[in-house]
Amino acid sequence: MRTGAIVAVLLLALVCAIAVGVTCGAVRVPLRTIVAALLHRHSLSPEDRIILMEIRLPRVLAAAMVGAALSAAGLLFQGLFRNPLADPYVIGSSGGAVLGATVAMALLPQLTWLGFSATALLAFAGSVATIAVVYSLARVGGATQAVTLLLAGFAVSSMLSYSSYFVEVLDRDYGLGLRILASWLHGSIEVPRWTQLGVAAAPFAASLAGATLLSRRLNTLALGDEYAQQLGVRVERVRIGIILTGSLLAAVAVSLGGLIGFVGLIVPHFARMVAGPDHVRLLPITVLTGAAFLALTDTLARTLLAPTELPVGILTAFLGGPFFLYLLRRTKRGYAA
Amino acid sequence: MSSLLRFEGVSFGYGRRKVLAGVEFSIEPGACTALIGPNGGGKTTLLRLAAGLLRPSAGQVLYEGATLHSRTRRDIAQRIALVPQTLEIPFPFTVQQIVEQSRTPYLGLFGGFRDRDRSAVERAVEFTGIGPLRHRIFNELSGGERQRVKIALGLAQEPKLLLLDEPAQNLDFGRQMDLMHLIRQVHAQGVHVFAAMHDLALISDAFSSVVLLSPHEPLHVGSPECVLQPEILERAFRRPAPLNFMEGFDRRSDLARRLCAAEQK
Repeated sequence: MRTGAIVAVLLLALVCAIAVGVTCGAVRVPLRTIVAALLHRHSLSPEDRIILMEIRLPRVLAAAMVGAALSAAGLLFQGLFRNPLADPYVIGSSGGAVLGATVAMALLPQLTWLGFSATALLAFAGSVATIAVVYSLARVGGATQAVTLLLAGFAVSSMLSYSSYFVEVLDRDYGLGLRILASWLHGSIEVPRWTQLGVAAAPFAASLAGATLLSRRLNTLALGDEYAQQLGVRVERVRIGIILTGSLLAAVAVSLGGLIGFVGLIVPHFARMVAGPDHVRLLPITVLTGAAFLALTDTLARTLLAPTELPVGILTAFLGGPFFLYLLRRTKRGYAA
Repeated sequence: MSSLLRFEGVSFGYGRRKVLAGVEFSIEPGACTALIGPNGGGKTTLLRLAAGLLRPSAGQVLYEGATLHSRTRRDIAQRIALVPQTLEIPFPFTVQQIVEQSRTPYLGLFGGFRDRDRSAVERAVEFTGIGPLRHRIFNELSGGERQRVKIALGLAQEPKLLLLDEPAQNLDFGRQMDLMHLIRQVHAQGVHVFAAMHDLALISDAFSSVVLLSPHEPLHVGSPECVLQPEILERAFRRPAPLNFMEGFDRRSDLARRLCAAEQK
């Protein structure tokens, strides 16, 4: 299938996913009412208006943005490390995010800024700072080896995660915060304010633009660093670009939804199985698939056991894991080196 | 007229480990050159220096009279192509997709292909006879097919100098012959070939000159008859040269020695 056709189908799927997300919930607002309101035939009742415009729509959009960001970051890191097992947190952003969130819950539970909680803000800062530290640790003599980067990321991330458990142990009055932290750790999307969405959308859009420019380089890097270099590609610069872009995307996702696993790993794989390995084609397909997938999964997470909300990370693992294994069994050939 | 490629007193080491010291030779226009020497003797390093991927710690590498490092990477890539020993590709790219990557030094920011790029890829595919493999997945090709694809990669880059690292590696006897034939054809097209080779018996099939690089012997440069002499090889490789190769050599060695004496004046 041509890329244009796939993208059109996925756009339609994303619109449907958003529509489903807006319609479904503890309080039922029929689609007919919403469409009528959109066409200015009727106006919504004030309650419906608040439910739709202040709760459901921002949350569905946040879920879509998180899904798109995680999937794009996964694609970038899988390409950079030439390793299909890489995910958005592979070079350690999760450890920094966890520590940031823990510190925020222990010390600054009340602070907010532009609608973001201290947890989200410190998680964002923690993940960006971790990447900077990991990158500077892995850089030796002006060059960075992919394996060093992976190992440094793993070590730093583990250290930070365990430091956060240490903080938890120290804080004996942590009963309530711990539960919030646990749900954050397993990924759950809060209802954001519109300002929050706006603030997150800026780095999100900038990183997607960056990813679009970098996607062609990922194809060249797939032939190996040395080959790319002899083709005139400034590999180190491209690598920094990919790390920055991927980390920013992961940090945006973390600040809106905590640590949501599996999306960044499986969506790029799914896209590759549909569209082949060409990263230029893959990027839009990955972004749209990730957005639609997480918008739907998040809707399921809040309606399945309503009024109880499941952390969406539980569902992405339940749905994503078996699907991933199925894909793996079906296409054995693609991953033999 | 200046040499195509010239090494002037080039030294290089990785950290404290010195690999090359004061290497000096040149490749003249029209030459088809083999690079031989024992494993770990610095052949791959020398090719990387020739492609401008490494910078000499002393001395300089000149391309058409100007030092390589006065040129931009992109500029070098439009003139010199280096095809590495192995290509490890983690994703199921097709042969066509891979060969198209070779046009990178000619593309703009958004990577749009123009007619010139398409025809360069076509010519490289035709020339190396890999048309039937075009839509196959590179990772599923046999060793011989991969080597042909790698030559196509080098050619699609439209270099004046094609550097090959062990192109005959892991090939059976027949595929080796095919490859030598291909290298002769590439050379006949006016592309200069500089290839690291292991199998000494293949050298005189395609190459007009030989560079011998060994930690145990000063650098030798000259025609195959001159450099591939039993005494030189024995010192360079620290083993007697292989019999099957030497039998052919002995028959012509008298003539060879006289020719070499004349060449060295």
